[in-house]
Amino acid sequence: MAFVKTTPSMARKAPLSEGTLLGWLRLNLFASVFNSILTVFVLFIIFFTVKALWIWGIADAVWVADTRRECFNININGACWAGIIAWLDGIFYGRYPRDELWRINLGGIMLFIWMAPLWLPRVQGKILVGLSTVALYPFLAGYLFAGGDKGVFMQIMVTAAIVALAANIANAAIGFFINGNLPDFIIRSIRQNEAPEARQRNILLAILAALFIAVFVWQMNWTVEVVSWTRWGGLFLTFVIAGIGIASALPGGILLALGRRSKLTVIRVLSTSFIEVFRSVPLITVLFMATTMFPLFMPEGFVLNKLVQVIIAVCLFNACYLAETVRAGLQAIPNGQYEGAHTIGLGYWKTMGLIIMPQALKHMIPNIVGSFIGLLKDTTLVSIIGLFDVLTILRSISKDGPWLGLHQEALVFGAMLFFVLCFAMSKYSRHLEAKLSTGHKN
Amino acid sequence: MTDTKTQDAFKAREQLASAASSEVIIDLNKVNKWFGDFHVLKDIDLIVHKGERIVICGPSGSGKSTLIRCINHLEEHQEGTIIVDGITLDKNLKHIDHIRTEVGMVFQSFNLFPHLSVLENLTLGPIWVRKMPKSEARANAMKYLERVKIPEQADKFPGQLSGGQQQRVAIARSLCMNPKIMLFDEPTSALDPEMIKEVLDVMVELADTGMTMIVVTHEMGFAKTIADRVIFMDEGDIVEENEPNAFFDNPRHERTKLFLSQIL
Repeated sequence: MAFVKTTPSMARKAPLSEGTLLGWLRLNLFASVFNSILTVFVLFIIFFTVKALWIWGIADAVWVADTRRECFNININGACWAGIIAWLDGIFYGRYPRDELWRINLGGIMLFIWMAPLWLPRVQGKILVGLSTVALYPFLAGYLFAGGDKGVFMQIMVTAAIVALAANIANAAIGFFINGNLPDFIIRSIRQNEAPEARQRNILLAILAALFIAVFVWQMNWTVEVVSWTRWGGLFLTFVIAGIGIASALPGGILLALGRRSKLTVIRVLSTSFIEVFRSVPLITVLFMATTMFPLFMPEGFVLNKLVQVIIAVCLFNACYLAETVRAGLQAIPNGQYEGAHTIGLGYWKTMGLIIMPQALKHMIPNIVGSFIGLLKDTTLVSIIGLFDVLTILRSISKDGPWLGLHQEALVFGAMLFFVLCFAMSKYSRHLEAKLSTGHKN
Repeated sequence: MTDTKTQDAFKAREQLASAASSEVIIDLNKVNKWFGDFHVLKDIDLIVHKGERIVICGPSGSGKSTLIRCINHLEEHQEGTIIVDGITLDKNLKHIDHIRTEVGMVFQSFNLFPHLSVLENLTLGPIWVRKMPKSEARANAMKYLERVKIPEQADKFPGQLSGGQQQRVAIARSLCMNPKIMLFDEPTSALDPEMIKEVLDVMVELADTGMTMIVVTHEMGFAKTIADRVIFMDEGDIVEENEPNAFFDNPRHERTKLFLSQIL
């Protein structure tokens, strides 16, 4: 019984459900009578919700008014956005002196410029860009925001940050417009590309040192007025806490996760207990501990400002959460990857840094971003210990004379603000996942 | 009586071993290893000379993979001594790191780094361990990719290659470190039949260059072509050892006979 195919099978058109909108509707929304009834019912509910929101928030809303009373007089059915608009500066900058707002804006612009190369095509050295953002930008921004007298340490860090920013911009421009990177470009433009590597490196180091000294001298006379942390507030403060939290929680989490998997008993036990303690208490407790208990353990006269304490607490708390996320990611990496790395002679740190972590973090992107989103939302808890974050400011609008009782609009605005931020982060994490995917996982 | 017998046996093995050359590169002396209570390697003695090609075969669970994994210390033995390239494997991490740069290994499951391109897989070791300049490492990697006949795949990721291609990349990755010894742990067992040949061809070519090779495999045709010695292991013992023609045509131990009758 042999079978030999004589005519080849022809390709046919795909069924209706594939590809056409009408087919998709038929299959997914109106497949049966019951299905159709449900669809109509849900559409009905969506329609009325959206309509009510539209009337309250847009159609009948009042955009220009001086007091809430005036809003009512114009249209009592609509939202009184005029109050929010009048308070926008407060929502974004808290009680930061109005004349000094440019410092916050400049800090934001610098962060944007610093990180923009990460998204530009053809730019080289993106890892360094990312690292310098985390390691150096906070010092420059921190000084810009807080102002006052720079100590020697801050002088050095601010200088390093300015040099790094300049090098970053130059490197990005070279990468984007003419391909290549900054060191190569310098070496080529002074015609030293044939020189031995050691000599090239020395030349680059000399240029770096000269630049560093020049900037150091220049910035010595540059000071900005002190703005006490008690005047920081609004979305700005939320960003400061969340930003530092995000930037330090990941490295902290990685170290704790590695510590927990370490073969050295002392490190393992310490990391494990640290993680477990912080994970088993609510963030509020940690915040209260940081602001009320922590000073008790410190020597007399040791005063750390409350903001710093809060930031440290947020960082530690989130580092512990991320440590568990990272550990889960590490466990998903098959043993063969370690063995493959060992057989080409990589030691522990190189194996972790070059082989294991990049893969583990890639698997963990959704969870890590999830933690970051949680962190951003958790920053609203600092209102309880008396910091003026964006939520506190929004709630204080209703206690402000002309806008007395303006709760709804303020909270809806806050909800929209957080939604936009969190949704953007979530979308970006999806994008990262897709971009970093390299086909099969094994 | 038994003493003279073991001594005779030892001499016979020595003679077999010294057939290739005289410089000893791997020396295992009374190596024992346990996984928990399970005794995987029992008093293993093995001397490998430079340039020798050894095939190890045996039923699963016989300890053959464990044996070669002990040679680059992926597994730690508990008793006995292992000397590789003049260095004794002990607790000293420096020795282990050094030996790992001299001993290349190819795994059944390839163990390529999926997040790096083929070229990056190959240059990683030379750049980070050998401190080779990047351009040189790349040229070196391309040379080995040409040797395993897939230079056109350099910029792809491992996940985009077939199993046979991945295994050839894995061989090239090991060769890039310029090792003195190559270990192969069932390199073709995870491959589809039509891909086995392309990997074996590469290994035969490698054998022709005079590389010291220890290969755990059941590819008996391959063993006949390249091996200087075939070692048969069972239950943690080296049961029989002979040059390939004699081993296959005239197995002497009962278990070897049984094993060969099952796989041939």
